[in-house]
Order: sequence, then C-alpha cells, then structure tokens
Amino acid sequence: MSSANVLMPQQATILDITEETPDIKTLRVVGKEGMPFDFMPGQCAMLSVPPVGEAIFSITSSPTCRECLEFSIKDVGNVSGALHGLQPGQQIGIRGPYGNGFPIEKMKGKDILFIGGGIGLAPLRSLIGYCFAHREEFGHIDIVYGARSPADLIRKSEVRESWAAEPDTSVYLTVDAEFPDWNGHVGFVPNYVSELAFKPEGRIALTCGPPIMIKFVLQALDKLQFSPEQVITTLEMRMKCGVGKCGRCNLGSVYVCKDGPVFSLDELNALPSEY
Amino acid sequence: MAERNVESVNKVREAVSQDLLGGRIDLLLGWEKGHYWWQSRPLFARSEADLEKLAWDSFCAVNLSRYLLEELKDHDKVGVLVKGCDARAFNRLLQDNMVRREQVILYGLPCPGMLDYNRLVEKAGGAPLEITEENGRVIIKVGSGEQEAQRDDLLLDKCKDCRYPDPAVYDQLLFSPQGEKEVTERFKTVEELEEMSAEERFGYWEKELSRCLRCYACRQACPFCSCRECFVEQENPRWQGRAYQPSENFMFHLVRAYHGTGRCIDCGECERSCPVDIPLQELNRKLIKDINELYGDYEAGLDPEQEPPLLTYRPDDPAAFSEK
Amino acid sequence: MKKVIAREKLPELWKSLAAKGPLFLPIQEGPVVLFQPWSEGAEANLDAVNTAVSAKDVFLPREETYLQYRCSGNQLELIPVENAEPVIAFGVHPCDLKAVEMLDKVYLDQEPSDELYRQRREKTTVVGLSCREPDPFCFCNEFGINPADAPGADVMAHLKNGLVLLEARTDKGKALLDQAGDLLQDGSDEKFEAAEVKTADFGLNLEGLPENLKERFEDPVWDELYKSCLGCGVCTYVCPTCYCFDVEDFGHEGEGQRFRCWDSCMYGHFTDMAGGHNPRAGRKERVRQRFMHKLQYYPETFNEIACVGCGRCLRSCPVNLDIVQAIKALGGETVEQR
Repeated sequence: MSSANVLMPQQATILDITEETPDIKTLRVVGKEGMPFDFMPGQCAMLSVPPVGEAIFSITSSPTCRECLEFSIKDVGNVSGALHGLQPGQQIGIRGPYGNGFPIEKMKGKDILFIGGGIGLAPLRSLIGYCFAHREEFGHIDIVYGARSPADLIRKSEVRESWAAEPDTSVYLTVDAEFPDWNGHVGFVPNYVSELAFKPEGRIALTCGPPIMIKFVLQALDKLQFSPEQVITTLEMRMKCGVGKCGRCNLGSVYVCKDGPVFSLDELNALPSEY
Repeated sequence: MAERNVESVNKVREAVSQDLLGGRIDLLLGWEKGHYWWQSRPLFARSEADLEKLAWDSFCAVNLSRYLLEELKDHDKVGVLVKGCDARAFNRLLQDNMVRREQVILYGLPCPGMLDYNRLVEKAGGAPLEITEENGRVIIKVGSGEQEAQRDDLLLDKCKDCRYPDPAVYDQLLFSPQGEKEVTERFKTVEELEEMSAEERFGYWEKELSRCLRCYACRQACPFCSCRECFVEQENPRWQGRAYQPSENFMFHLVRAYHGTGRCIDCGECERSCPVDIPLQELNRKLIKDINELYGDYEAGLDPEQEPPLLTYRPDDPAAFSEK
Repeated sequence: MKKVIAREKLPELWKSLAAKGPLFLPIQEGPVVLFQPWSEGAEANLDAVNTAVSAKDVFLPREETYLQYRCSGNQLELIPVENAEPVIAFGVHPCDLKAVEMLDKVYLDQEPSDELYRQRREKTTVVGLSCREPDPFCFCNEFGINPADAPGADVMAHLKNGLVLLEARTDKGKALLDQAGDLLQDGSDEKFEAAEVKTADFGLNLEGLPENLKERFEDPVWDELYKSCLGCGVCTYVCPTCYCFDVEDFGHEGEGQRFRCWDSCMYGHFTDMAGGHNPRAGRKERVRQRFMHKLQYYPETFNEIACVGCGRCLRSCPVNLDIVQAIKALGGETVEQR
C-alpha cells in the first residue's frame, strides 16, 4: 500500500533547452536529487507549469542516461506552449513514469526496425538508445526516419552521425519533398519503408509518428508480410491522471496511460478503434 | 385526457405522415413517450413505424428547434413540431443564420402549457398514477383516490408566464390558436431582486449559483446558445476555469446570460434542464426587462425581421452606462 | 449496539455530531435536496428518497485541492495539501453506498490506489439509511439491491414512527454512537427490520448483457440512441458511479492551487487533444462511451454493471435519455415484456 498521492508532482529543474525545429524543443530535466525516477523506454511523464497546468509527454532519453530526463516537445497546446517559454534553470513539476513501455523481452534476439515520423521519433529514441547500450541483445538495427522538411527532422546530428556509426546499424532519412539543402532521399516514410522492402523474418517493427503516417506504415508492413504481432506502435491520448482513473484515454476497458501507450498491432486490432 | 389526446395525436400524425412518407421532409422532429406517462422525449422519425410512437400531450416540454443545428447537417429538409417557444427558438436560429427557412417545415402547435410532474406530486400528496384533463382542470389519480386541480396551477414554471403560446412562425397550424395571453407576474421576481441592495442581491446569487455543477445543461438546452465553440471551452485564452468558486460561477452564468441579451426567447429550457433548480430564468428576465425599458418592448424570436436591439445601432439609443 | 432517538431531537444530534468535523446530510437547499455539510439552521431532510446529486461528493468531492504552488524567480515550490478531516456521512441510501463500493474498486483496489480517495474513505463514518417508500425513478431492485439495508454502512439507520433507529455495525459506527452520548437511548428492544421495498420494474434482463455488448461497439443502435442527447453533463454529474475527473490549476503565476474536479465524458473537450485530434469527437461516440463504460467496460474489469438504479439520470436528464432507455435499446430487456 502506497501512501503517496499519485497526482502529486515533484520539483524538477530544466538543465538546458535545445531548439530542434521551429516548433520542437528538447528539454533536459533533473529532479531535486538527480533522476526524478527510474523508467523504461516508451514510458511517459506528466510535466506541469502552474498555473497553466499539466500534460503528458513521452520520455525521449534512454534509461541508460543517468544524468537527466529528456523530453522533445512540440508546441501544440497550452502546457507545451508554456514549456517552450521557459528558460534553463527554471523549475517545473514532474510525476511518473506512466505506461507499460516497449516490450523489450519480446524484442531480444530479433532484428529491429524503427520507423519514425517528425516528433514521433521522441519515444522511439529512448528505445534506440537502450538498444545501443545493450547492443548484444538485439540483431541488426534499421532506423527509417522522416519529416515534412529537413528543418522538421529532430536530433539531426545524433541520427546522422552517432546512430549511423553504431555497429550493425543502418539509418535511412527521408523528407516529404525536394528541398535545396537536402540531397538525401525524398518521399513519404511509408513509401520509403516499402521501397526498402524489409523482410519480416526474425524482425520486430516499431513505429511512431503522425496518425496518418502510422496508418500507411501499417499498410506497408502488412504488404511486406509482417504479422500484427511483429508490429508495435505507441498511442497518444489526452490524459489527466496517468494511472487509469480519470477516464479519458480508454479503448474499451483498456487505459492507454496505464495499459499502453505501447501496443502491438494484434492487441490494438482487438480493441475499439477509438484513437 | 386519453380520448382528447388520441384525437390530437392522430391529427398531428396525419399532418406529418403525408410529408414524411411522401418525401417532402427527410426527418420529423417530434416527441414520443418516455418510461413514464409524465415524460415525453424527443423523437426522430423517419418511417411510418417511427410515427406510430408520436406523442403530443401535456409533457412535451423539450424544445425541439435546437436539434436542427445537428440534424440539418445530415438531412436536406426537416419537419419540426413547434410550440410557441419552439417557433420563437426557430426564428432565433434563423436570425443567427444557423438555419435556412427553406430547409425546414414547421408544424405549429398552439400550446396550452406543459405540466410539471413535481407539481402533480405536490398537489396529489404522493406519486400520481395518472391524470385526466378537462376544461382547464386536471384530475390526478393517486393510490388513495383523486385530487382535482386547476391546470394553470400545475404548469411548469417556464410555461406559467408564457405570453405567446401560439407559434409565431409555421407552415401549417395544426390546431386553433390559444391567443396571446396576458401575463402579470413575468417580472415579479426580477422586481423583487431589483428591490434588494447590491450586497443582498450578490449574496442571493452567490448562494443560488453555489449549487451549480457546471454540467452546462442550461447552455446545451438553450436555443440562443448556438456558438460553434463556447467561450467556456476556449483554451487560449482560458476564460472559464473549472474551480467551484463564486468567481467562476459568476463568470459562467453572467456571460451566458449576457450573451442572450435581446436574444433570449424566454422559453425557460435552461431552468427546466438545471438538475439543481437554479432560477436561471430570473437572470434572463432581468435582461429582457432591461432591454424593454431601454429600447422599447422587444420579444426575441417573435418577428425574424425585427433585429435584436443590441445588434442594431440607432443614434438615439440610450447610453445608460455612460450617462451614469 | 442499538440506539434510538426521537426525530424531533435530531437537530441536537446534528449539533453534537458536527462538533467534531463535517457532518454531511441530505439538506433541503431551496427546491432541491443536496448531500451537504450541515451547519446551524440547515434543514436536514431524511424523508427525501434521493438527493439531486449523489453522496459520492463525500468521497470524491466535486473539487479537491491537493497542492499549493508558489513561484518566485526560477523556484517552484509544490506543497501538498492535506484534506484528512474525519467526516460523518449521515443518511446514505443503499444504492448510493453500493455505488461507493464500485468507486472503491477503481480508486482503492486497482493499482496504484488513490491516496486522496483512501483518506476520505477511511476517515468517513457512514450512516446508512433504509428507504421506506421509493420514488418512481428508483429501480435498484433490478440490480439486486435491497433498499431496506445498506451492507457496508458503519451505522444502519431506519425511520420508524417518529423515531430514528440506529444500529452500529463497525467500530467506527460504535464510536459515532458513543460520541452522541446521552442524546441516544437504548434501542435493544426495538425491531430493526425495515419493510420490503419494491422499486420500479422495467423488465430489464441484465444477464449476459456486458458480454453481448463486447461485440456491439460498431452496432447501428448507437446511430439512433445518441440523437436526442444535448451533450450536457447532467447524467454524469448526478450519477453515483461516474468517477471521471479533471486536474486544473486555480491561481496566477505567483501562487495558487492545483485541484481535481469532476469531469464528464459527455463533453467534447474531455478527450480533445492539444494538436486538435479528438478520438471521441461527436455526441455519438460520447454517448456510446458513457453507456459502454457502465454496461461493458466496467463490468469487464470489475464483474458488475456500473449502475445501482438510483434513478437520478431518469429524473434529471432534460430529454429523458437515460440508462434504462440505453439498456432496453441494447437488448437488455426481458423478451416477454416487449
């Protein structure tokens, strides 16, 4: 029996802020005594800026990073807007971690295919970092990442330089249309996945991005003969509690904040499609 | 009641079924019976079988015009049964360009006023089993016998001071008009409130509004609350907080009432819908009274050609605020 | 322990009980009866069958502040606010108490438990009150609830011939009767059996309904059922088993409070995401959510339908779109009665 109020945030301090794109910033956050809490890739945290309020964000740093938590945040609402307006050194509220996280046991020994779009790289990045830190537990790693324009790609140098240099790892970048400063691949992420023709055997695919991208990525993977159990995605919903009680993020009797946000496609297919 | 009732329902059914089954309208908004004989709820009729359920009795209080906002998205032409207040609500929507006249067929129902179940209980001194209506009198049957009462004493509050029981707009009037009614007590409570000192009045409203659950039934039931996005839900800036504090209660109820100034048709659906019986009609009527006193008598929804006073400007408009 | 008190002596009892903390009672507030803290001069109404809003307010208050914040410079201070006062809830009818047990499953049994709720629950002494005469909206019999008894009450109270009979059933209950001291007389000779109460029979057949509904998320019945819904939150706010909440700050940049408050799945705003996407964008999706939650999602997790037949939605929905109508539309009606 716990005696702490699960809704009570702890104090945290913003170490620094990186501008990733015109509307995405990455905040590095530390608690009073170092890490606010332990977590696993794919889990989320509630960040709060009084009097604006609280909102849930996925943790983008890897749990193997023991200095701080990182959040890549797109300015789309009141709380994200308020977070964008903060400066290093300022304090916020934080609570968590919430959610199930990615099924790491199920991924072990398999080749891993990451498919991300735009800000959707944020939750995948936590897992990518984890995989690199436990490199021997996983097979070949492919990372397909795209955005509308080169300016909308987040963690560019990390993706291009550090990730591409990791052993037994391939990185594929793409943007939706031609841009003067872009000499890489041009095309939508789902089409690029089809072109690259990944084989399903012994492989797990994990995807996150805008809903429309996910929809077509799922179709592309289906065409490539991936079975629903091999495909994993993570959902976004409006959330207030993070512990399956406030009533907003359910799909049937499953609560995305608590039982998700990570689902395999076969799990998702068995739930009401209300997301 | 039963016999007269069957007769009048048949008449309504006859009038609408030709249009619905003949394809002149795609949908009829009417009423059907709920679980109890004292409840008549909205009916969305598309077929002959649906029309079998049609009800027109002393409990058809729900204002149907509001449903046009949604139903006209899916239907080309909708028929609506309108009482006096429903018809004024329709005019209101028309004036706000929320509906087009040619999209709607209105079947006018001169309204004798709707009865209040709670009044029946009070009068009968227990749960009533059924009622019979005859010449302005109501016989209420209870377990132990019968109680007789004046129909006017059993009306819903919203119907008590109704001046215009006949539809102001219709394509077809289904019964003979009731005629304009003389109302004497419409502003009685408002006048009493005006007599109070500002502090007393503030205290009165603070107490009444303290019951507010912020369920927004008053807003959802209201024919003038037709904004696509209400200020309550606006995120940036956030006008309306959720705290159950007097400041937030006043914020919601005063802004709601002010939005209705010169637009409120005094149908009382807000007050009827309130689960904790906040006297919302008094707020609305205060504004109606002020409008009448400042700009001359104006009855919202009566004549769609007559612009609401606050939506027009005349050089000789009184400037009550700046004059004080 | 059995005690009695004459009804005309109740104001004295209220005074004595309220001395040690909030005493919630069905209180006549103008035209409505609400479950509220009693204060000198307030008019308790024990004859009311059901309060307009349920007794859940005691355990899951409509608004509950749990932290204070203070900002200065870069510093943000977050200070927990304790709400742990002992409370007496006097006059909780069996349906409402059964509903609290349903809230317990969500807030206490399901991990992680909710500490705010737990504290209120543990510090509240519940005096159950049997029903003598149901109002026509009551249908708790359909859910196997006996209006004459509220298992789980600390004290069970019955109204009988100008007397209130009180039977303590737990240590908390005994302590409450002790607190009242000489105001209460010995009641060991009084008969404590309340008469059988028959509530409305809508001919519902709930057997297997949750299981059947599992396959009916896309059923055409939803295309019709929601139509009359105005999209207000009356049903959810008066409902004793609805438990959804929102979290919000009240204050300014320098200082303020954070509270949670009731929220409603009937509001579009409820699930609206910051980016503009809304998974339950229309009234149809929201009406389906409310009824599916009561009739399928909750039972799937907790093995019972999340309705106690208190009848508040039947009484209060401005357009009479209530759970009985939903159950019937979804096939939960005894066939012979159709």
